[in-house]
Amino acid sequence: MAGLGLATRLYRGDAGLNIIGKKKVWFSVALTVLLITVLSFVFRGPQLGIDFTGGNKFQVPASVGDAKQVESAIAKAVTDVDPKGKTLAAVKIGGGEASYEVKTTSLNPDQSFKVKTALAQKFGIDVTKISDTQVSGAWGSQVTSKALTGLAVFLAIVIGYLVIRFEWRMAIGAVASLILDLTLTAGVYLLVGFEITPSTVIGFLTILGFALYDVVVVFDKVQENTGGILARNTMTYPEAANLAVNQTLMRSINTGLVALLPVGGLLFIGAGLLGAGTLKDLGLVLFIGMGAAVYSSIFFATPVLVWLKEKEGRVAAHTQRVFARRASLVEKGEDGVPTPRVPVFVDGGTLAPKPGQRPVSRPRKR
Amino acid sequence: MAAPQGQLRVKWYFISLLSITAVLFALVFGTGSGSFTDRLKPRLGLDLQGGTSITLQTKTSDNKPPAKDKLDEARNIIEQRVNATGVAEPEVVVEGDRNIVVNIAGAQTGDGFRALVAPAELRFRQVVTSTPDIDEAAVNATPSPSPSASGSPAPSASPSASASPNAAVSPTPEATAKPSATPSASASAAPSATPAPSGSAAPSPSPTVNPDVAKRKEEALASAKAAVGDANWQLAQQLIDNPSQFQGHEKDVYNQLKPFGKLTGAQVDALPLKMQFGVYNISCKQLGERPPGAVADPTQNVVACGKDTNTDPKTKKKTTSWTKYVLDVASVLGTDVADATGSYDTGWKVNMKFKSAGQDKWTELTKKAYNGGQNATQQNGTDRVAIVLDNAVVSAPAIQGVINGDAQITGSFSREDVTNLAAQLRFGSLPLTFEQSQAQTISPTLGSAQLKAGLLAAGIGMLLVIIYSFFYYRLLGTVIFLSLIMSAILVFGALVLLGRQIGFTLTLAGIAGFIVSLGVAADSFVIYFERLKDEIRDGRSPRSAVPRAWARARRTIISANAISILAAVVLYIFAIGTVQGFAFALGLATVLDLVVVFLFRHPIMAAFASTKAFLSPRVSGLGRVLNKPTEQGDTIISTNPKEA
Repeated sequence: MAGLGLATRLYRGDAGLNIIGKKKVWFSVALTVLLITVLSFVFRGPQLGIDFTGGNKFQVPASVGDAKQVESAIAKAVTDVDPKGKTLAAVKIGGGEASYEVKTTSLNPDQSFKVKTALAQKFGIDVTKISDTQVSGAWGSQVTSKALTGLAVFLAIVIGYLVIRFEWRMAIGAVASLILDLTLTAGVYLLVGFEITPSTVIGFLTILGFALYDVVVVFDKVQENTGGILARNTMTYPEAANLAVNQTLMRSINTGLVALLPVGGLLFIGAGLLGAGTLKDLGLVLFIGMGAAVYSSIFFATPVLVWLKEKEGRVAAHTQRVFARRASLVEKGEDGVPTPRVPVFVDGGTLAPKPGQRPVSRPRKR
Repeated sequence: MAAPQGQLRVKWYFISLLSITAVLFALVFGTGSGSFTDRLKPRLGLDLQGGTSITLQTKTSDNKPPAKDKLDEARNIIEQRVNATGVAEPEVVVEGDRNIVVNIAGAQTGDGFRALVAPAELRFRQVVTSTPDIDEAAVNATPSPSPSASGSPAPSASPSASASPNAAVSPTPEATAKPSATPSASASAAPSATPAPSGSAAPSPSPTVNPDVAKRKEEALASAKAAVGDANWQLAQQLIDNPSQFQGHEKDVYNQLKPFGKLTGAQVDALPLKMQFGVYNISCKQLGERPPGAVADPTQNVVACGKDTNTDPKTKKKTTSWTKYVLDVASVLGTDVADATGSYDTGWKVNMKFKSAGQDKWTELTKKAYNGGQNATQQNGTDRVAIVLDNAVVSAPAIQGVINGDAQITGSFSREDVTNLAAQLRFGSLPLTFEQSQAQTISPTLGSAQLKAGLLAAGIGMLLVIIYSFFYYRLLGTVIFLSLIMSAILVFGALVLLGRQIGFTLTLAGIAGFIVSLGVAADSFVIYFERLKDEIRDGRSPRSAVPRAWARARRTIISANAISILAAVVLYIFAIGTVQGFAFALGLATVLDLVVVFLFRHPIMAAFASTKAFLSPRVSGLGRVLNKPTEQGDTIISTNPKEA
C-alpha cells in the first residue's frame, strides 16, 4: 500500500477496508452478541435498582464520619423502626460537599423520618442536611412502561421517515443495527451486573436517537454513491456501498470520538467525583451504547442493507453484469489492471459526478 | 462565487444571528425581575437546589389512566391543600396521564409536608367498641390497669338528647368531637360484651383481596405465631374469647403476652381482628405501622387507633393518650364529602358538606350511630362515628342526632386542629386514590454540589471536544470553538427564558441532555469538514470547495438532526419525570445547533475560505489532504472496486 499506514489512509478516507465482503463475520458477531445477551438474561438476570424494587435512600454528609460508621448508624436506625429492614453498603458521593448514600429496604414516610431524626441526633447535625428518597417499585416500572411506549412510537415514526427519505431496505438496516446496539448494551449491563435505574432507561432511549443519527449519515453516503449505479456497469452495488463505508469511516470515528468525549466527561465526573446517581447512570449507559452505535453503524447497518439489496433481482443481475464486463475487459488483454477505470472515466465525465464521488471524479484529475 | 457577493451574504447571516441573540437576551432581561444577576438565573430543579418532591400516582381498579378532568380536579385539591399549609411557592403539576408531582424548592423539613400530601383514603365508620391503649408503665403503675372490668361508658357516649333530627342545615346536635370527651382511664375494657356485632367482623380476607396480598398476610401470620410462641398464642386466644376470666390478672397477662408487643406492623395486620384489639400488648404504635391501606377496605371491620390530646385544666400540661377502636364497615367514604371548612363561633369547629348521594349514606350512618347510642345495653361508644384516614382514627365524634344536612364537628379543638381536620376531610375527598410512588428530599448543600458537578462535567466535555477539534482540524477548530460558545450562549438564554415562560426547570438529567447534545453539535462539524476534505481531495480549491461541501453536508446534517429532534420530541411526549427534562434539553440544544450551523458556521466558513490562512495547508487542517494529492492515487483506486 505504498507505505501508507492505516491511520493516514483512514484520514484520507481511503482505508480501502473490505467491510461489506466480510458480511458473514459481522453477522456472526451480531449473533454471538445476541446469544450472550439472552444467556446472561436467563442466567444472571438484570440488576434492578431501588426504583424498580422499591426502597429508601439516605444521603448523609461525609463530614460526619467514615463509610462504616454511617452504614452501621443507618442500619441501626432502620432496624429500630423496622426490625426486618435491610441496609446496603454505603456509597461515597463526591462533588462540592461529599456525602454517603445508603440504600435500604422500603420504609414508610414516618419510619424514614424517624431514621433521619435518629441519624441527625447521632451525628449531631441538622436534619435538613440529610437527604432521603423514597421510591415505590411502581416508579421504575412506570418509567419503563412509558419508555417502551416511547420506543414503539419512535420506531414507527423513524421507520416511516427512513422509508420516505431513503428506502425500506435502509430502514430495516438502520433498525437492525439499532437493535444490535441495544442488545450489545443490554448484554454488557447484564454481564457486568451494572445496576439498572430509570436513568439507565433514559440513556437507552437516547442511544436510539444517536444510533439512528449515525446510521443516517452513513446511509446518506451510500445513497449518494449508489445513485444511478444500475445504469452503469462500472461498479457493483456492494462495492459502491463498501466505498461509502470507507469514505465515511473517518467521519464515523470522529463522530464517535466527539460524541464519546463529552459522555466520557459525564461518566468521569459522575462516577469519579459524584460516585453515584443520575450522571453516572446516564454516562455509563451512553458510553457503552454510543460505542456500540459507532460499531454497528460501520459494521452492521450497511452489511444488512447490502444483504437485502442483493436479494433484489435487478441488483443481483447488475452485479453479474459488472463482473461479466470486467472479465471481458481482462480477456481483451487489459493486462490484469483490474479495473473499470476506463468506463468509470467515461461515465463520470458524462454524468458530471457529484463532488464526493471520488472514484468517479478522480481519474479526471490525472 | 464572487467574493463581494459572498461577503455581503456573510454579513446578513451574522446580522440575523446577532438579532436573534439580542432579542433573546432582551427578553431575558426584559421579562425578569430582581437584580441584573437574578435575571440571569435559570430555574433549577430540586435535585440542583434542594427541596422536596413527591410523586403521587393514581391507582385505578382497571389500571387505566384516569379521566383528565378528574386528575386536574385532584391536582387543584392537592394544590389548595399544600398552599393551606403555608409552604412557599409549591409547584403542583400533572405529569403524564396519571401522576401528580408536588415540588417545593429550597430547604424544607419536608416530612410534615410529606405526610400531608401522603395519599389518604378517608372512611367514616361507626365505632363498635373502644379501649384505651396501654403501655407497660401503665400496667405496672396500677395493680389493675385501665382495662379494668368496670364497663363504664365513655363519657361522651351519653347522647345529648337535644338532637333535632330534622334540622337540615347544620343541626345543633354537634357531632361532638373526640378528644376531651373520649375515654380516659375509666373507659370500658370489656369489649367482650359486644364483640363485633355481625359476621362481617370476621377478619377473613374478602374475596376481592389480591392473592399476593393474601399470601403475604398468611406468611406474616405464620411468622407472628412463631414470634409469640404457641403457649402465648393460646393464651391470647383465651383472652379474646373470654376476657372476663382474666379480670384482675391483667398485669400477669400483659407480662405473659409481651412478645405481642414486638410484632411488626405487617405481622399485626395479619392477626385476627379480635386479637389486634383484645391483646393489650399490641400498641397503637404497632397498629399505626401496619402497611398502608391496611384498614382501607370499606367492606371490612377494622381496628384502628385515635390520638387524644388532653390538657390538664390545672397544670395546662398536655398529655397524649391513644384509644383503640373496633370499627364497623365503612358506609361513607371520603369521596362522599363535598367540602369541609373550619370556622369559629363559640369554639373551633369543622363544617362538613356532603355530596347528594353521600348525604343519604351519612344520614343513614348517623341514624344507626344515634340509635346505637340510645341503646343502653351497648354503651361502648357505638354512638360515635370514627373518621379514619390511612391507618388512624382522626376523630371519633359522638353523634347526637340523626343528621340529614351538613354536619359539624365540635370539641376542644385548637385552630390548628380544625385546619388540619378540614384539610384532611377535603383531601380525603379526592376524586381519585393515589399511591406515593416517589418522594425525595434533597438537602440544599447536596443540590448545589450536584449542580457544580454537572457543570464541571459539561465543561470537561466541551473542553475535550475543543481539544480534539484543534488537534484534528487545526485552525478549523476555531470555528468549532466559536460555534460551541455561540451555542452555549443561545442555550443559556433559552434556558432562562423558558424557565420563566413555560416553567422549564434545569435538572441534573437536563444537564446530561445538554452534554450529550455537545456530541451532536460537534458531529455536524465533522460531517461538514469531512465533506470539505472530500472536495479538496477531488482537486477543488478550498474557496470553491466550501460552498459545494456545504450544499452536500447541509442535507446530511438536516436528516441526521431531524432524527435527534424526533427522538427528543417522542421522549418528551411519552416519558415522565427526569426523562422529560432530559429530552427537552436534548431537543432544545439540537434545534439551537441547527440555528448555529446555518447562521454561524456556514457564513464563517465562507468568510474563512477567502483568507490566506485557510489556503495554507498547514493552518487549516486540510493540509495533509492538500499536501499529497497525487502520489497514492493509483493504490487507492485499485484497491476499492476489487475487494468487494
